[in-house]
Amino acid sequence: MAYDDLRSFLKALEDYGQLLHIEEEVNAEPDIAAAANATGRIGDGAPAISFTNIKGFKEAHVVMNTIGSWKNHAISLSLPPNTTIRQQIDEFIRRWDQYPVKPERRDNPAWAENVVDGEAINLFDILPLFRLNDGDGGFYLDKACVVSRDPEDPEHFGKQNVGIYRMEVKGKRKLGLQPIPMHDIAIHLHKAEERGDDLPIAITLGNDPVITLMGATPLRYDQSEYEMAGALRESPYPIATAPLTGFDVPWGSEVILEGVIEGRKREIEGPFGEFTGHYSGGRNMTVVRIDKVSYRNNPIFESLYLGMPWTEIDYLMGPATCVPLYQQLKAEFPEVQAVNAMYTHGLLAIISTKKRYGGFARAVGLRAMTTPHGLGYVKMVIMVDEDVDPFDLLQVMWALSSKVNPAGDLVQLPNMSVLELDPGSSPAGITDKLVIDATTPVAPDTRGHYSQPVKDLPETAEWVKKLNNLLANRKK
Amino acid sequence: MICPRCAHEHIEVMAHSPVKGVWTVYQCQRCLYTWRDTEPARRTQREYYPEAFKMTQQDIDNAPELPTIPPLLAKK
Repeated sequence: MAYDDLRSFLKALEDYGQLLHIEEEVNAEPDIAAAANATGRIGDGAPAISFTNIKGFKEAHVVMNTIGSWKNHAISLSLPPNTTIRQQIDEFIRRWDQYPVKPERRDNPAWAENVVDGEAINLFDILPLFRLNDGDGGFYLDKACVVSRDPEDPEHFGKQNVGIYRMEVKGKRKLGLQPIPMHDIAIHLHKAEERGDDLPIAITLGNDPVITLMGATPLRYDQSEYEMAGALRESPYPIATAPLTGFDVPWGSEVILEGVIEGRKREIEGPFGEFTGHYSGGRNMTVVRIDKVSYRNNPIFESLYLGMPWTEIDYLMGPATCVPLYQQLKAEFPEVQAVNAMYTHGLLAIISTKKRYGGFARAVGLRAMTTPHGLGYVKMVIMVDEDVDPFDLLQVMWALSSKVNPAGDLVQLPNMSVLELDPGSSPAGITDKLVIDATTPVAPDTRGHYSQPVKDLPETAEWVKKLNNLLANRKK
Repeated sequence: MICPRCAHEHIEVMAHSPVKGVWTVYQCQRCLYTWRDTEPARRTQREYYPEAFKMTQQDIDNAPELPTIPPLLAKK
């Protein structure tokens, strides 16, 4: 069953025992962030956490970590909670192939229950905002889906973008927003700014999990996140029309903020503890003016803790990064078997492939770096043979240890593009990139002595079954 | 009161707690640092604020621009 809003997803988490209600009174800081941080430190299967008793607030309801474990990620996709990582990714790939699924436009969204306009807006009054990490410059919106359109082609549904960008609340109706240059919203902003215009945006808070996953997925520029959400949830995605911008927004959102990124304006923002496990530093960033707020009665405020990995954002971005990279590579190289780009949003990726001829695998690795996501993220690629599962790090380590001779297996490219947040880049946004070719050389590449591999015995598969049966049936 | 981060003296109130008198959110009008007065001292008091995150007017002036503002298109 697909979830039409955050509340039905929370109900499913609750039914599976994956939603923990924190009933004691907590301080907005540091308790909420520390508790969400702790979900990443208590082992597998961490729950979402819900706060309704926050000091000084009357009606506030904050939820954290809704997608922050493999169990919760599985429930997001309406899969059984114990679905393995590999099965979740395989299912993600299977559903992706159903793209596009046309969205369904609905009337009477719950977020239309309350409206505040212009100077009357005070985001601090509407949202229970709080700080995440000590060095953060302020309180952030970091799990909102932001909708914008291409100023040159505003009626193109696919070019309308839905993405998650960090936003600092810097005034009663003012935000700072981070458009990474490789992201679609930066293309929209560039077109608006070179015309001297503002860029209208709609910020949607408190959403169903699938549109949140899509907001974190690097789709092609003209692919619609709503049409892909429909594929991923296996039913048309419900949208509604935002009242001020006329943009398409989720029908089930808790809160809609509408306004503009003010053209050709930058202002100090940050720092913010980022998904790299490092702070961003202070930068002069875009400025958003909010002109209209629409919200449900007693809206639920959903946020996400991020810091030293792994935290919720790694689950949110993990499969959402692997699958588009796999699909984009597979389209050109059907030899590609699997892509594991779950490490820091794909700054490192592991790719398994068959080889057509010597030198082929490293060429696939280079291609991964020139996919839309690769341009800003894929800094290191480990290429492995088709019989190595890139999700099985023991196998990957075996490939690295036995198949690599640094004399010929490292391909280093100088001064390539990466997002500025990569703390190793120097200057920020420029880095060398590296392909480590841990595949077995094939002709005409005759390096090494790989002609006598030890394979699992032909009878082993049968014994695997036998041993598993014996283990399952032995007396307790 | 001064900004814990940049020591500026122009501070404005962003919000008061819905339950009266529990907390206040302040904002520095130079570096825009925003804090709630009930946060730990390491976030609210200049003398305890971490050196690594302190900010100066020079830091603000020299902060990188993201993304870069493109040149205006020539008018047709």
